[in-house]
Amino acid sequence: MIKKIFRLFKIPVALGFSMLLCLNWLSAQDPSNEYKRYHTPDEINSMLGKLNKDFPGKTALTQLALSPAGKKVMLLEIGPDAGKSAKTVPAILVVGNVEGDVPISSEAAIYLADLILNGAEVRPDLTWYIIPTLNPDGIMHYFNKPLKKDTRNGKPYNDDMDDRVDEDGFNDLDGNGIITQMRVKDPLGVWIPIPDEPRLMKRADNKKGEKGIYKLYTEGLDDDGDGQYNEDGPGGVNIGVTFPHLFKTYSITSGVWPGSESETFAMMKFTFEHPEIAMTFTFGSTNFCMVAPKGGRTGTADMENIKIPERYATMFNADPDKSYSIVEIMEMVKPMMPPGMEVTESMIASFLGLGAVVNPLREDLTFYNELSENYKEFLKEKNAEPKRLSPQSAKDGSFELWSYYHLGVPAFTMDLWTLPEVKKEEKEGSGLSVDKIEGMTNEEFIELGEEKLTAFLKESGAPAQYNGAMVINMVKSGQLDTKQIAGMMKQMGGGAEKKDTEGADPKEKALLAFNDEILEGKGYVDWKEFDHPTLGKVEIGGAVPYVNNTPPEFMIDSLLNLQVPWVFNLATKLPELKILKTETKSVGSGVHELNVWIENDSYLPFPTAMGGRNQQPAPAILVIKGDLKFLSGKPRTTVGKIEGNKSTKLSWIVQAESIEDVTLTIESKNVWGDQKQIKIGGTK
Amino acid sequence: MKKLAIISGIFLIIMLSPFNSFSQSGKVTVPLRFDFYYTYEQVVEALKALNKAYPELTTLDLVGRSEEKREIYALTINNPQTGDPLSKPGVYVDGNIHGNEIQAGEVCLYFANQLLTKHGKNDRITRMVDKNAYYVIPVVNVDGRYHFFSDANTSSSNRGLRRPKDDDRDGLFDEDFMDDLDGDGNITQMRKKDPHGKLKTDPEDPRLLISVKPGEKGEWIMLGQEGIDNDGDGRVNEDSEGYVDGNRNWGFNWAPPYVQSGAGYYPLSGEGTRAIANYLYQRPNIIMVYAFHNSGGMFLRGPSTKDQGELLSSDIQVYDYLGKNNEMIVPGYKYLISWKDLYATYGDFTDFTDNIIGSYGFVGELYQSSTETYRPPAEAKVDEEGSGFFGESMSRSRERMKFNDHVVQGELYIDWKPYKHPTYGDIEIGGWVKMSSRLPHPFMLQDLVHRNAAAVMFSSEQTPEISMEVFEKTKVGKDLYRIRVRLTNSKAIPSMTYRSVQKKLYPQDMLKVSGSGIKVVSGGKLTDAYRDRVTYKEHKPEIQFCQVPGFGKVEYQFLISGKGKIELDYTSRKAKNVSKTIDL
Repeated sequence: MIKKIFRLFKIPVALGFSMLLCLNWLSAQDPSNEYKRYHTPDEINSMLGKLNKDFPGKTALTQLALSPAGKKVMLLEIGPDAGKSAKTVPAILVVGNVEGDVPISSEAAIYLADLILNGAEVRPDLTWYIIPTLNPDGIMHYFNKPLKKDTRNGKPYNDDMDDRVDEDGFNDLDGNGIITQMRVKDPLGVWIPIPDEPRLMKRADNKKGEKGIYKLYTEGLDDDGDGQYNEDGPGGVNIGVTFPHLFKTYSITSGVWPGSESETFAMMKFTFEHPEIAMTFTFGSTNFCMVAPKGGRTGTADMENIKIPERYATMFNADPDKSYSIVEIMEMVKPMMPPGMEVTESMIASFLGLGAVVNPLREDLTFYNELSENYKEFLKEKNAEPKRLSPQSAKDGSFELWSYYHLGVPAFTMDLWTLPEVKKEEKEGSGLSVDKIEGMTNEEFIELGEEKLTAFLKESGAPAQYNGAMVINMVKSGQLDTKQIAGMMKQMGGGAEKKDTEGADPKEKALLAFNDEILEGKGYVDWKEFDHPTLGKVEIGGAVPYVNNTPPEFMIDSLLNLQVPWVFNLATKLPELKILKTETKSVGSGVHELNVWIENDSYLPFPTAMGGRNQQPAPAILVIKGDLKFLSGKPRTTVGKIEGNKSTKLSWIVQAESIEDVTLTIESKNVWGDQKQIKIGGTK
Repeated sequence: MKKLAIISGIFLIIMLSPFNSFSQSGKVTVPLRFDFYYTYEQVVEALKALNKAYPELTTLDLVGRSEEKREIYALTINNPQTGDPLSKPGVYVDGNIHGNEIQAGEVCLYFANQLLTKHGKNDRITRMVDKNAYYVIPVVNVDGRYHFFSDANTSSSNRGLRRPKDDDRDGLFDEDFMDDLDGDGNITQMRKKDPHGKLKTDPEDPRLLISVKPGEKGEWIMLGQEGIDNDGDGRVNEDSEGYVDGNRNWGFNWAPPYVQSGAGYYPLSGEGTRAIANYLYQRPNIIMVYAFHNSGGMFLRGPSTKDQGELLSSDIQVYDYLGKNNEMIVPGYKYLISWKDLYATYGDFTDFTDNIIGSYGFVGELYQSSTETYRPPAEAKVDEEGSGFFGESMSRSRERMKFNDHVVQGELYIDWKPYKHPTYGDIEIGGWVKMSSRLPHPFMLQDLVHRNAAAVMFSSEQTPEISMEVFEKTKVGKDLYRIRVRLTNSKAIPSMTYRSVQKKLYPQDMLKVSGSGIKVVSGGKLTDAYRDRVTYKEHKPEIQFCQVPGFGKVEYQFLISGKGKIELDYTSRKAKNVSKTIDL
């Protein structure tokens, strides 16, 4: 009991959120399933089955794929079209555990299904495709003994390209059911224990006179006697890096080609067979709700500085030595195109061979950043401002990047938890910095006094012979001034962003703090000696796998309850096209002008800037049905891009001798659509 | 109404009759004939006939089915007397991944036909068959080949896979094909009298059009390919079948459709391309790949995009050896680099096989229309001239027309005939038939299929042939022996491509020393036998990883303690395994 109270008291810290929790966000709905422990993929599938059984009219359960280890990848469809082959409303595709090493992500996905079905206020005119576990083989590493961090599915792969396959995996040498690390004293070792926290290791800094003591290995034997440890464990592919955006051929865990795995291939096939998908949402280790997809990748086409190859430059009347923006080039090309032909960025980029986009487009970052502010506000309203470590960056070949870059729909992701950030300990120190010194006069510097300066020099890692007295003397004698001192210290690295005082990785520090304060020591195995058959005396210990991304079970439902409902806010932001206004003008003799304004009555643009670039998803079409002759324009017209809460105007010139009933329809799979009846025609 | 249908049916048969000279009805028999083009069904029949005629040497596998559920077959040619297919170097040959490029299928059939009918009769072919396993897929794009024959087409249409695409982004898929308005089985050209047009009748050949000179009065405008505005959107033929290009759809260096047109939504989205990728992946012995296309007369090697960088120079040497020989086997054809000499393509097939299967690959671009000649003996040399209205000079156009008239008796060209077009009014329809331009007339087919099959045969003879010799066995201590082993490759193609070694595509070939009474104390690659330079392998010296270069050798040295028999095993994915036993 005491333990429990202790735990409850610790919750805010544990959750990684700063304020005490308000009870009002705990359990507004009553979910069908319990979220008090982590469920195996089979159990998750049973839970999906229960939801399907409880809500037969609203749901359909299908098998998407079978993993190499024989686990079913299940898909739950929720919505008005569930089980029907024709889809009439847009859909959000929700995927969990693509990487297969984030236990809570599957819980989040099925929890979302539970919330939708158990009466959360969600728009009824929306389909949800929910795949809680895309990489079931991967996540089984969490449930199987010994516990080890691994993302790979059950396909055998010869990692080290020797004569055997999957022959040298981890071994639980100390028999504690957990694969941790081994440290071995070795003259070639580069690691040393951190003095103030000997459980943690850091790389020895030879420049500071530190000498490496240990070599680090993962726990195990050299099963095949090739001199390497655990270099070819069972399993093959991490589904989280198998999608065709920035796919890494020849990487050990990526599979032989993008989509070579049945899980990935089924996902890609399903996605393109369902053009109603208007957004993807991934539960995993990244968080696009909080931090926009990362840019700054080099090697991409820079849309602001494009050189036009000589053979095209003459054609465009451009200077091959100058750089142009894509907009400028579009202006050059427009007059050369037949009238009515749309000139798009995509067309120009492909014509000039600019290659694939690899950084998020500027216009898209606008909505990512705005929605990120909204999300932080959302958490603030629940008194749960994040005090957590940064989410991971999306990996090359990941599902979320593929969604954004290839499907052309808004792609959001959420990691549900990181270790709470450890507050920087305000160590009593000199209170000085290189910048401060640079801004001082020589006199001010001398006034600081020997003691303070000696402390500062020590902190900055200056060689021992440089003490306060000596430097003050040098300044006094005019040998040095404050600018020169600052310059020297910068050169020595003292001016660089100040590293953590103990040299420990902040993530590891956070893990230890969490282990000590919350997990009562269950998150970290203290180093213990072990007689290793080939390495001799070693010590085994280190962080318990998954502690860094998997909150203790008692936190699961409150974490889900706090964050998962944000998906509903995003659902309300899906673009929605409507016919705002129509206007007909008679020009005389049965000729009429027809103007139609189409509005995007929601926040997100349609399509995204990336969608505009890659011509995905399919455009919305304005269809005019009626007995009209088109003098200008066509009966089926592509509605171009419409930003959120903006409108676009389309015009036609038509001929109709008498007044005709005409139906205007916005045809689209993923922006709902609209219909309006108008009358047009007559010779007056 | 019914009567009308019958009459127009008869009319169609009459109209189609000239094309019997290109295709053939009746039963397919072995040996296969190559004086006509095989329809898709006949290709299947031919494969089945070969399989039936040579049950020992062949297996016929159903690789997969297309978008329209047609069967994609592969014929394996292997002599079981000389081992299982996977134990030998694999040679893969395919064609017709572009539906309209049909003679590629004939090259594959001819190649198979030659190997089988001459096995046991011609010594070189017998050795060739006995040495390798051959995998032949004559038609990759089976729907494309089917529709190329059954539907009206141009020589370039029906190239892609039958995966619907909304080309004009109006929400409808594949709704405005070209139309065979005159019902002659071909999509030809439409022209209309127009004094403002920029073309006039060629005074030398009234069927041809030439550009007007500045200030001269025009006579014609061209209205594009035969067709009407099927969907009433004011445009003609703007959304035809497909288009996923089977040769942009592979899972290496793939780029999405906005970068590479025809790529498909994701790699290997095509039913057939994916089935073949898996088929290849299950045959790791494949070291040589030929993929036939038309046209132009080229043997292309990778890479297919510049950004991949040039191949390793050691691999280029292999390509050069084979490619330069191909240039001599098939006169007029050039050995070229895909991205540099033709154009860049992402998701290319031979890039996939080079990089994922670990083989050497050539794309054969079959046929040069410049061989359609009609000229005095003094000028008989075949040349390639600059571009004119039809992509060639006027004099070439006139010459091709004479070739059509006097060499193939008018079978390649349909003269202009008047037609009443719903949008354009009075027009004329005429031009080159679908079986022209990119395809040789059947009388030239025999030469084309033979020479190109001969190029594949040359490469097939050059697959690795490894032999092993123990060239030294010295006692260097009590019960301690030094043995030196040499692996020699008598052919041009190495036992692994250098690319697959570099990228660790699969485990390297292995040289393994074993024996019950011995222990391998140390071992490694002998880099200089005279000065005893050895790169020792620290762990497990009894297994050495190796590659045997083309026309070359590698040597290994082992220090072995103990007595008795020693087994030396060389194992390779691509080359045949070799074993030797020696006594200490």
